[in-house]
Amino acid sequence: MDFRYTQDQQDLIDAAKAVFDGENTLERMRLIVANEKVDDLWPQFSELGLLGIMAPESVGGLEQDLSVMAGIAEAAGYVALPESLVELAGISVPLLNAMGETGKIKQVLAGDLAVGVLSPLLSNNNQAVHCDLFIRTTRDGGEPVSVPKVKFETRQSIDPLRGLSSATQPGEHNSFVEHHGAVLTAAQLVGLSKRMVDMSVEYAKERHQFGKPIGSFQAIKHHLATVHAQIEFTRPMVQLAALQSGRAVHTAKIAAVDTAMLAAETAIQVHGGMGYTYEVDLHLFMKRAWALCGEWGDRNYHMKQLEDLILDGEAELGPGTSFAA
Amino acid sequence: MEVKFTDAQNAFRAEVREWLAAHVPSERLPSFDTKAGFELHREWERTLAKDKWGNVSWPVEYGGRGLDLTHWLIIEEEYYRADAPLRVSQNGIFLLAPTIMEFGTDAQKARFLPAMASGDEIWAQAWSEPGAGSDMAAIRTKAVREGDEYVISGQKTWSSRAVYADWCFGLFRTEEGSERHKGLSKILVPLDSKGLTIRPIAQLDGDEGFAELFFDEVRVPVDNLLGPEHGGWGVAMATAGFERGLLLRSPARFQAAAARLVDLYKKNRDRVSSGIREQVLQAWMTAERFCAATYALVAQVGAGASISSEASANKIFWSEMDRHLHRTAMTILGARAELESGADAEDNGRWLDGYMFSLAGPIYAGTNEIQRNILAERVLGLPRK
Repeated sequence: MDFRYTQDQQDLIDAAKAVFDGENTLERMRLIVANEKVDDLWPQFSELGLLGIMAPESVGGLEQDLSVMAGIAEAAGYVALPESLVELAGISVPLLNAMGETGKIKQVLAGDLAVGVLSPLLSNNNQAVHCDLFIRTTRDGGEPVSVPKVKFETRQSIDPLRGLSSATQPGEHNSFVEHHGAVLTAAQLVGLSKRMVDMSVEYAKERHQFGKPIGSFQAIKHHLATVHAQIEFTRPMVQLAALQSGRAVHTAKIAAVDTAMLAAETAIQVHGGMGYTYEVDLHLFMKRAWALCGEWGDRNYHMKQLEDLILDGEAELGPGTSFAA
Repeated sequence: MEVKFTDAQNAFRAEVREWLAAHVPSERLPSFDTKAGFELHREWERTLAKDKWGNVSWPVEYGGRGLDLTHWLIIEEEYYRADAPLRVSQNGIFLLAPTIMEFGTDAQKARFLPAMASGDEIWAQAWSEPGAGSDMAAIRTKAVREGDEYVISGQKTWSSRAVYADWCFGLFRTEEGSERHKGLSKILVPLDSKGLTIRPIAQLDGDEGFAELFFDEVRVPVDNLLGPEHGGWGVAMATAGFERGLLLRSPARFQAAAARLVDLYKKNRDRVSSGIREQVLQAWMTAERFCAATYALVAQVGAGASISSEASANKIFWSEMDRHLHRTAMTILGARAELESGADAEDNGRWLDGYMFSLAGPIYAGTNEIQRNILAERVLGLPRK
């Protein structure tokens, strides 16, 4: 029992965070929203090995587990990364690996192949137009579907940085894929929550009323402290869910949804009228949070799973039952 | 990240479980805030101490086993799983003992720790004063040095366990004319000292869980000074960190309560509204989150990190969880919720007791408003003024 990242794991997460923070700046996001041309980050992700975080070492990957990918997903959430890196590196690659498709993983790592997943828990496929191939999930694996065979309908998200499509062939439930999807979505929500708190703190230090920064008022402090505490008790749950299955995963996703919604509502309240506009960048993070709350099992889905397991089942509960033997 | 227990840790858990099964009293003890209950809990402390299960993380020479905090968490889990008696010695073992280990002299460690571990000396705390609650730096009770003694005069309040305990640890103004955080010292005082009057205060459940302490020229030897003279604020803050942080409330307590809440729901599922399902799950999930976060914190502490302002998030989280959990139970019980005893009182009024006690959680050990100020200012960096 040693529930913390090793130094090597933490270094890897920190390196990815430095790339995200350095490259996906607020200026870049504003340009994308305005339909201006920006540099494509995929070649950099490929070069830095971020696509192969979870790929086996035998094909040039870093063979990290889902907890490390969750740390990277949190960092991607912190910048509301427009690129669907988390989906590709954290869901598609592990699925390809489980299917024994090492040849395709090599192509992904080289930046030559973008693979999407068709799952019943994913009603909106982000960045589907960029994918060359889809894997339709089956109960214990997946089957490749070439792009012409998948019918897509374009959908407009309130999040201007997501390009959505709905697919006609959603696939079957697959617990391996859904575990990755739920944990990594929850991890992004933790990052988004943290970012919204940080933006609110900065705003509250600068904005003056009654001759003082509004951040000096306890009404503001207590709102933000409440969200901070929620984040600190959601992050470990998400990390634990990466290494467990079942109820820990449902708990993590629900906690991340509740934390992100609270963070967003608190952040707009702290920003006052400015938060209700495109004049400040808060809305980009808030809208991403709304979007991710519904993906890889929305709150209803995970709550129903928990009801079955905890309230209507005979699971052993109480102290000492949180970690699988 | 490693989230599996080792074989050795599993064997340790089995050993604890077996010992508890053989020793935990078959009937719940009366509250330790009654005279009879206090002494029965003291006896339980002696039972724990005899086989060295009371303080496993302490060094061997003071009655512990020198084990790490992961082992402490395992014990806590088994302890609450077995529904063993609450620790009447908690002020001493969880709050004072870590402070003595950090700041005490060798003589103080040898004098106080073994007697604390054995249950022979039960400790109360004496920090708050009528004019110094959330604003603890407003402490006025004086300890004037006269030769080899301090002469203490003034008043303390909300002194938990003081009605029946043997000793108290308090913060007193030792430097004449000093103000606020300066000039305070932490001093250990026997509760049977001449000149010390103890007035019990009946708490919400009617029991005398705390007391007012009136000091009228109470004399204690200067050897009872813990840490630097006039440097008591720093010593007290270290204790506050332990209290809000890790030791006072382990996740097991809440996980056990959440499991009992699920059982209570199952027994009443036909007569409660469907909305209660979400509340029960919320309580269960919150306890699981507290567990995950505590194991993460223990891993950090094990790797050398120290707990400071972050502890404030802990205190907010567990106290508000506990209140919500017990309120949910009260909602399920409906008209039976008010019953203290008798055939219709669920679990002999335990949920009611728990709910009342949960209302104190957001107040003691520094109110949650103070904790939110600490988080906002020291962790998030918002301006003080």
